[in-house]
Amino acid sequence: MSAHPTAAREYQPVFLGKTREQLDTILKRYPNKQAALLPALWLVQEARGWISDRNMAEVAEVLALTPAYVKGVVTFYTMYHQHPVGRNFVQVCTTSPCNLCGAEGVVKAFLEHTSARDLGATSPDGSWTVIEVECLGACGFATPVLINDDFIESVTPEKVPELVRKYREGRR
Amino acid sequence: MGYPHKPHPKETAVLSKHFGDAEARSYKGWVKRGGYEAWKQAQAMTPAAIIEELKNSGLRGRGGAGFPTGLKWSFMPKEKKKPHYLCVNADESEPGTFKDREIMRWTPHQLLEGTAIAMRAIQAEVGYIYVRGEFTEPFAIMAQALDEAYKAGILGDLKIYLVRGAGAYICGEETALMNSIEGKRGNPRIKPPFPAAAGVFGLPTTINNVETLAAVPHILKNGAAWYKAMCLSNPKSTGTKLFSVCGQVQKPGNYEVTMGFPLKDLIYGMAGGVPRGRTLKACIPGGSSVPILNREETESCLLDYEGCVEKGTMLGSGGVIVFDDSADMVYQIMRLARFYAHESCAQCTQCREGTAWTTKILQRILAGQGKSTDLDLLLDLSENMTGKTICVLSDSCAAPVVSGIKKFRGEFEEYLAGRRRPVVAA
Amino acid sequence: MPDELVSLTIDDVQVSVPKGTLLIEAAKQAGVLVPHYCYHPGLPVAGVCRMCLVDVEKQPKLSIACATQVADGMVVRTQSDQAKKARQSVLEFLLINHPLDCPICDQAGECELQDFVFQEGRAGTRYTEYSKRFNPVEDFGPDVLYVPNRCILCTRCVRFMEDVAKEPVLNVSERGDRAFIGIHPESRLDHPWAGNVVDLCPVGSLLSKDFLHKARAWELDKTASICTGCSQGCNVTLDTREDVVVRVRPRPNLDVNRYFMCDHGRAHYRWMNRGDRIEAPLIRHGGELRATDWDEALDRSREILKGARGAAVALVSPRASTEALFLARRALAAFEWTGAFQVVVGDEAPLAGVPNLALRAERAPNGKGAELLGYTRAYAAAVTAAQSAAVVLVLDDPDAVVKTDGALIYLGTVLPPVAREAAVALPIANVAEEEGTFVNRDGRVQRYFQAKPAPGMARPGWWALGELLPEAERPASAADAFTQLAAAEPAFAGLSYGQLGFAGARTTRGAGAGAGVPA
Repeated sequence: MSAHPTAAREYQPVFLGKTREQLDTILKRYPNKQAALLPALWLVQEARGWISDRNMAEVAEVLALTPAYVKGVVTFYTMYHQHPVGRNFVQVCTTSPCNLCGAEGVVKAFLEHTSARDLGATSPDGSWTVIEVECLGACGFATPVLINDDFIESVTPEKVPELVRKYREGRR
Repeated sequence: MGYPHKPHPKETAVLSKHFGDAEARSYKGWVKRGGYEAWKQAQAMTPAAIIEELKNSGLRGRGGAGFPTGLKWSFMPKEKKKPHYLCVNADESEPGTFKDREIMRWTPHQLLEGTAIAMRAIQAEVGYIYVRGEFTEPFAIMAQALDEAYKAGILGDLKIYLVRGAGAYICGEETALMNSIEGKRGNPRIKPPFPAAAGVFGLPTTINNVETLAAVPHILKNGAAWYKAMCLSNPKSTGTKLFSVCGQVQKPGNYEVTMGFPLKDLIYGMAGGVPRGRTLKACIPGGSSVPILNREETESCLLDYEGCVEKGTMLGSGGVIVFDDSADMVYQIMRLARFYAHESCAQCTQCREGTAWTTKILQRILAGQGKSTDLDLLLDLSENMTGKTICVLSDSCAAPVVSGIKKFRGEFEEYLAGRRRPVVAA
Repeated sequence: MPDELVSLTIDDVQVSVPKGTLLIEAAKQAGVLVPHYCYHPGLPVAGVCRMCLVDVEKQPKLSIACATQVADGMVVRTQSDQAKKARQSVLEFLLINHPLDCPICDQAGECELQDFVFQEGRAGTRYTEYSKRFNPVEDFGPDVLYVPNRCILCTRCVRFMEDVAKEPVLNVSERGDRAFIGIHPESRLDHPWAGNVVDLCPVGSLLSKDFLHKARAWELDKTASICTGCSQGCNVTLDTREDVVVRVRPRPNLDVNRYFMCDHGRAHYRWMNRGDRIEAPLIRHGGELRATDWDEALDRSREILKGARGAAVALVSPRASTEALFLARRALAAFEWTGAFQVVVGDEAPLAGVPNLALRAERAPNGKGAELLGYTRAYAAAVTAAQSAAVVLVLDDPDAVVKTDGALIYLGTVLPPVAREAAVALPIANVAEEEGTFVNRDGRVQRYFQAKPAPGMARPGWWALGELLPEAERPASAADAFTQLAAAEPAFAGLSYGQLGFAGARTTRGAGAGAGVPA
């Protein structure tokens, strides 16, 4: 492992400056440090795009937890990325109500129009990752799609090319 | 109001009156529409008087269990010795349900007002509103509203915080939600102790659903009698309820009706019925965790707690999933089982293993490789998964399987007999 | 103040237990072992395996016995059709992803999954034609391997590290049927008490590398003993296979070590199997030691004691039995006596979640016993005094470096340099080869039992030393030696060897009395 070039690079902490201040504000909302874990993990993901093992160790240190404890929590919640994902992260709801309304076609359209190819895989240029997710809680607006933090309602396969174009051009 | 559609004359718009009206989102806009009057009224009342009013209204929890709200609040210690907490369950994740999302998107102050009143009633100084992680827009709107409310000074000393979930259906279970707020895995806790004795951070806690709290200001403002009078069938089910209609209907959306409203009129009258040329086959009236109704049951079901029980199902969260005759019930049930297998927290053996096994059997049937014994096996597994675990996720996986096999056995048998083309790869 | 008692019926047996008792513990008193996995009396209740479902009258659903408190008049049926079916289904669910690799699993024969499936499981599986969950074996720490495929996610290990060791280095990772016990890649399961997770694991998922493939459980003989690793006196079981100690595991004693022992103690057994033992008594002939029989060696020893006058020095091991220490002093009763011992000292390692339980700095089991019998820690002074003493007795202290103008009698298990200066060297048994007592740091007298035979002609220390007394005073057994000790030494007054049983008793009269023999 230590022979790996990235492992040798010095770790840059997340919780410095403004991010540290944000965490300090959050800490005031709870009677203990542990309760700030989910928000702290969100801050890491915002800053780094995903949450590495080393990030988990940092969060553990900041909140007086153990790295293993933090990892147990990270792996419970599906929105925390344990691996790098594409610049545009597309989550398509395919649970029953959306499935009834053609969600599978939306997934197919996204896989076709981005170069992501397979569910969960990231396109070679690092710009797209497409996954199926369980119920996004907008069943009346089938098919809802989350692209990064943008919640888009009533997506149909026909609307996908335009969406892909928009996000390909726009910044994350 | 049937957002995103025009209001239907048979609706009783109380909570949803301002859905679609972007101006109602702001503090000023909300005040202009009579907002925060109930909160001012509540501040002049004793906690006991507020609870009494809620008890008299007959309001029951809108999250799924239907527990009387006033009674729940009364379980909190009368004499406050430790800090009290309120948790607001905005982790709306039950497939078929999307009402809390609309309440937060259009009327965030309605929720904040209800939250403030509840906090006064249970003597809580801290309230956490736990919003599911995927609800990015409702979260931003709530944050803005909270900011405005504090700037206006309307919330006084109350400390209300937003907490963002991170992708876990089970966090909608009340004790799992508390664990999640505490920075833990969202594992449901064994009960007792119940939240009123030891909830979040081990302290007395009340947890209410978004829709429940949104109803509270209206009850205070218009009186318990007014609320109680809104009842079309059983007197134990009062007030209005938002129903999220989705699946194979022409006008999916949220519709607010008085308790006891016929399901048939909701689907055909308000939501426009199934697509043209199709007929209704089945309906799940209370979110994916409740038993499926066939057409006949759907058309005779009255939408209140008792009316649903009478048809062998539950009112649940009011997520109405409609299936027309083109729906493959075997596939849809598999898809629901897969949902539960994905969301099982992994604590209880029956749930961890049973949800996954159930999904595998259903997938095998859909791959054309089912065995004649598979249906009996599914039913037996479902029985073994029902009523034996810490929470009801396992039961929820079993409910559509059992009711599905009971009511649509023919479709399963077609796969088993090779009369239907396999739809999933082996 | 006596606890308020609650009466209830479990499988038609009426029991009375203190209020607040958990049903699963009350059932034990009714002679009923409710099958369970996640429950362990030394850990907080999790209630997750759902194996202990029982029928409680007037309850609409089955209840888990591990999280249900007893109530007056409760009627419990563990064998109702409903309860049996529910537990059978849990076993079926647990087995669908279990590899059933019992033939190569160290846990086989002492596996709670095997036992309860044998007791009430289904004969066949209905989980056919699906592959089983697979995850590779992981190296968790210096002595612990994790075999995830066998894991039933009872979370005992996670709770031990979190709530007992207070160092949560294990977690449950992922969720649903993808869940497994995880560790962070930057951390290791190397806590000084980590080995307990192997004992706690009800299946063969957490394995000791030290014990890996050493024996099948049914080949092991088990003997109650006391850990010799430090002065805590943890109750242990010595597992022997063909008279070789292959494993040491904790034996529950709520007053001393609850259900646990540290890794230092756990690993501290190899010396019990040493091959370089003295197997025959040795006596000096001219410049060298020559093997002989016990009669000649004892005769020579008695002659030395009879012929000498003045000072005697005893340099003893704090690992020697209380009985041997007592008799070593008596054998030198006619002399001006000095007795001393030395103790190896190491780092203290407490088990944070259990009060008064630690790997103690003093790495010897019987320093307290030696002290109560008059031996001191003034070891250097004793070595100096030995120079001019008439008799020097060394009792299993291989590190002793002593020069004396007098006669040296050595009793020991091996032949260190000091023994080569001896007039007589007597071979004695080690802790695994004899019975006796140790006194732990809190003054608790605890018995250990013989696990294997001593090599060659080696005999217990109490016997060899007893033989040096006048014929009428020689003890016939370890029990006899203890009886003499209790009669002679005020600190041990009132204690009886029989009553010490498996749990031991405090030396101070009255305190800790009523030590019972566990069933």
